[in-house]
Amino acid sequence: MTQHPPRIGLVGAGGIARAHLPNLLRLGDVFVYSEEGAPELVAAYGGVVVHSLDELLARVDVVDVVVPTFAHAEIVRAALAAGKPVISEKPLALTDADASDLVARAEHAGIPLYPAHVVRFFPEYVRLKQAVDSGLLGDLAVLRLSRSGAFPTRAAWYADHALSGGIIMDQMIHDLDMARWLAGEVVRVSAVTAGIPDADNPVQAAHVLLTHASGAISQVSGLWGPQHLAFTTEYSVTGTLGCLSHSSAAERNYRSDLAASEAVDGLLPRIDPAEDPYYLELREYLGAILGGQVPRVSAADGAIAVAIANAALKSLETGQPTDLPVLSEVLA
Amino acid sequence: MRGLKVAVMSFAHTHALGYMTSLAAMPGVEVRGSDPDGTSTGESVGELRGRALADALGVGYADTFEELLAWGPDAVVITSENARHRKLVELAAAAGAHILCEKPLATTWEDGLAMREAAATAGVMLMVAFPVRFASAFTRLRSAYRAGALGHLITVRGANNGMLPRSRDWFADPVLSGGGALIDHVVHIADMVDDLIDSEPVSVTAITNRTLHAQRAGAETAGLVNITYENGVIAAIDCSWSKPDTSPVWGGLTLHVAGTGGTVEVDFFGPAAHGISSETGLPIESRYGPNFDDAMLDTFIDAVRSGRHAQPDVHVGLRTLSIVLAAQESVRTGRTVPVVREPAATSS
Repeated sequence: MTQHPPRIGLVGAGGIARAHLPNLLRLGDVFVYSEEGAPELVAAYGGVVVHSLDELLARVDVVDVVVPTFAHAEIVRAALAAGKPVISEKPLALTDADASDLVARAEHAGIPLYPAHVVRFFPEYVRLKQAVDSGLLGDLAVLRLSRSGAFPTRAAWYADHALSGGIIMDQMIHDLDMARWLAGEVVRVSAVTAGIPDADNPVQAAHVLLTHASGAISQVSGLWGPQHLAFTTEYSVTGTLGCLSHSSAAERNYRSDLAASEAVDGLLPRIDPAEDPYYLELREYLGAILGGQVPRVSAADGAIAVAIANAALKSLETGQPTDLPVLSEVLA
Repeated sequence: MRGLKVAVMSFAHTHALGYMTSLAAMPGVEVRGSDPDGTSTGESVGELRGRALADALGVGYADTFEELLAWGPDAVVITSENARHRKLVELAAAAGAHILCEKPLATTWEDGLAMREAAATAGVMLMVAFPVRFASAFTRLRSAYRAGALGHLITVRGANNGMLPRSRDWFADPVLSGGGALIDHVVHIADMVDDLIDSEPVSVTAITNRTLHAQRAGAETAGLVNITYENGVIAAIDCSWSKPDTSPVWGGLTLHVAGTGGTVEVDFFGPAAHGISSETGLPIESRYGPNFDDAMLDTFIDAVRSGRHAQPDVHVGLRTLSIVLAAQESVRTGRTVPVVREPAATSS
């Protein structure tokens, strides 16, 4: 592409931008555009503030979209129209139509589009994927995946179902994608949810059941709990030859008991800075954009994850399981 | 205090061993069993049936149920195959004995209602054996919830995973067991949710497969169930027989509960010393902790002596059974299924 370090445009300056920007700065020169918060973000981490999306698109080689969910499709479309390879936060879009439209546009233009399903880069999930792919667990029978943390109150749009898609589309899409990555295509989805929309202390939970084309079954559970709740994840996967399970609360290489307690982050998982999954993710995507290996997540993966989440949301509406159309129809 | 006669009808369920052992150790309790259909499958105590097992445990034995009931037991513990619970409950109730019936209460709704009727007509107590709710860890969870520490409870996530039972083949035979993993392992968690939130189950969705132990099992070996309760609480249960045959322990039961006040996790069989056998390379998991069966049997025996009503009773048995039956229907139809409510009793 170029001899100079890649010029990366970051669109958005919210919570997840704080996980992306420091890692992008390790990979290239970063320009940040956001309707709000860009100067503060850049002051904290570095980079260059630009004042319009057009200016950003004119100055960069690659665009990383970390705007709120409801704006993903619009910004990704603009970046693709400008011919720029795109990394987009998950969910790729809120609707199946938008998600498949983005996939189609990227494909027709021959421009890379990578949705940031970062859980595929977390080492405990990489181990699980390796165990499954190597045949260590045999044919998969039953999977449980769960994810708990504090209700995201840092921005109002999370609590607005129309803007975020709620806990299933925003948080549980990680494990919906993981279940499909591990056990293959999903043919039926059902969901239940419960929550208290208290303005001061909202909570929301959901359980999603997946039937895979292989016959394997998955239970995906999500919790947006009270504000003090630490972020934790669990999985338990069993196949004909064995089982593998993990609990982020149990597996720790650092325990402390200090008079001044260390901060607890209820919004993002605890990560090892020496093996930062956000860095591994962005490096893999940027490497692919610069001509390297095909990454472990495709645009289609992002659109199918959205389709599974929307099937779960439809199940909440109808009170009945939703049959998922075959892949080609999802992406039609 | 006069001695209490406790009869154990059928040793088909492995729990018969533990119950007879615990009962025999209770002061003032005389235990006698009968297992006319039982045939030993080997020499170990886990494989013994009939008089051989009674002898091994040092308890009395009767060759037939008629002879056992003619002894005049105050209480009867039923540990037969699930599908035979009804017949034995009816016999025990007709003999005027209070009853502790192994879970699940029954394999059909009709049988469950008939058992309620039989106990009511005879004026005897019918308790269902859900020992896990007697764990001190569950008492602590219930206390925390009732004290408001969990705030407004919204969700429960439970996993009750075990091995495919091996020394008792009937577990995987739907005619005798009433199904597979769904009927075996949904009810313990359903019982604890029932006790905790005191709300009726409204609808159930379930998915299953037979991928594990496909050759040996006559019914589903993996099952996942979603339940919605009248008060809005949701529950997700993994009831799979997903512990590998080589596991050092039979399985376990975990519960995650969340509300506006936070979360509580209980790993009922978690505490253990861990190691590795250098001979086999297999893990050693040496569990410790109180015996839940003892606490349950104490409650049952106290209730028999005092005439006080004990929980979990037949109504809990019916509500937990209604969830299993809805789950089975959900699997058959691919639909989310409403849970049948217990009808008012026709007698008593």
